[in-house]
Amino acid sequence: MTELERALSQLEVDWPATPSFAYRRHARRRLLAVVFAIVVAVGIAFAVPSARSSILRFFHLGGETIERVQTLPPAQERTLRASLGIPITHEQARLLLARPFAVRDARVYRSGSAVSTLLPGGVLFSEVRIAGGAVAIKKFIFGATGVRSVALDPDTTAFWFPGRHVYMPPTLPARYAGSTLIWQRFGITYRLEGRGLTLDRATSLARLLR
Amino acid sequence: MAYVITGSAADAEDATQDALVKAWRALGRFRAGEPFRPWLLQIVANEARNRRRSAGRRLRLALRVAEDPAAPDVDRGALLDAVNALPDDAQAVIACRYLLGLSEHETAVALELAQGTVKSRTSRALDRLRELYD
Repeated sequence: MTELERALSQLEVDWPATPSFAYRRHARRRLLAVVFAIVVAVGIAFAVPSARSSILRFFHLGGETIERVQTLPPAQERTLRASLGIPITHEQARLLLARPFAVRDARVYRSGSAVSTLLPGGVLFSEVRIAGGAVAIKKFIFGATGVRSVALDPDTTAFWFPGRHVYMPPTLPARYAGSTLIWQRFGITYRLEGRGLTLDRATSLARLLR
Repeated sequence: MAYVITGSAADAEDATQDALVKAWRALGRFRAGEPFRPWLLQIVANEARNRRRSAGRRLRLALRVAEDPAAPDVDRGALLDAVNALPDDAQAVIACRYLLGLSEHETAVALELAQGTVKSRTSRALDRLRELYD
């Protein structure tokens, strides 16, 4: 990317305010109130950078459902290691994911449909393959978080959830989770999580994990 | 994106709203496993183009710099002036690719262009911007 392109990408444009579609009077408009939370969040929010955080309420990203709530549901404090599940071989991981696990030469674990490993620095890396659009994992975030999207490459957008939130994995009780980066590629939802994980480190790791 | 196509905040709002209703009704035809964003962008873009055509004239897109004291050290006003001075077609690809962060494919879908046209038009627009901005 040239300097000019970088400067353009960093330009903050004063886009027209995102309207509240939910309060229109016309009957057809009322239907929109129903779909607003789902469709607007994945459509308009992603297309207008300044609106991403402000209108995000609820959306699906691959195998994960993300909800913004006023109060976090009860959850356990659990170490990342305790969240790994049972050890499996790389061949078993390949069968589960229908492609090789992105981190070779690492111990691999399975918890439900998630295949995970611990990366140096206490970062949990997971892959989940979801068939038929099913949702396996729920994530709850609180209030006005700094959720933002990050372009990993021209065709892949990742979502960054900074700070503490509640993570509800498929086969274990809900637990508190640290900062997390999620993206989708090859029909797989990828996830990086760590208490001290920064956006820069997460995106650097994500670009390596192909 | 609807604003980039229509050049009018009111038209963009209506186009987006109608597009979301259409998307909701068409969800059953959405193929599981396909990326959702380009599908939705295409519906929004079609609706925005319909609205622009029915308006009978193209409003000139006028972008303004947002207030941001923590912005990086670039002359943002001058750069955006240069973007605003581009011809409509060049301004649209620059807005889609860099201001909205759309991929080439998404830009092609949004502007109803071949991907190769997006690439060449972007390249020409960047050349023109360099002349205007430098």
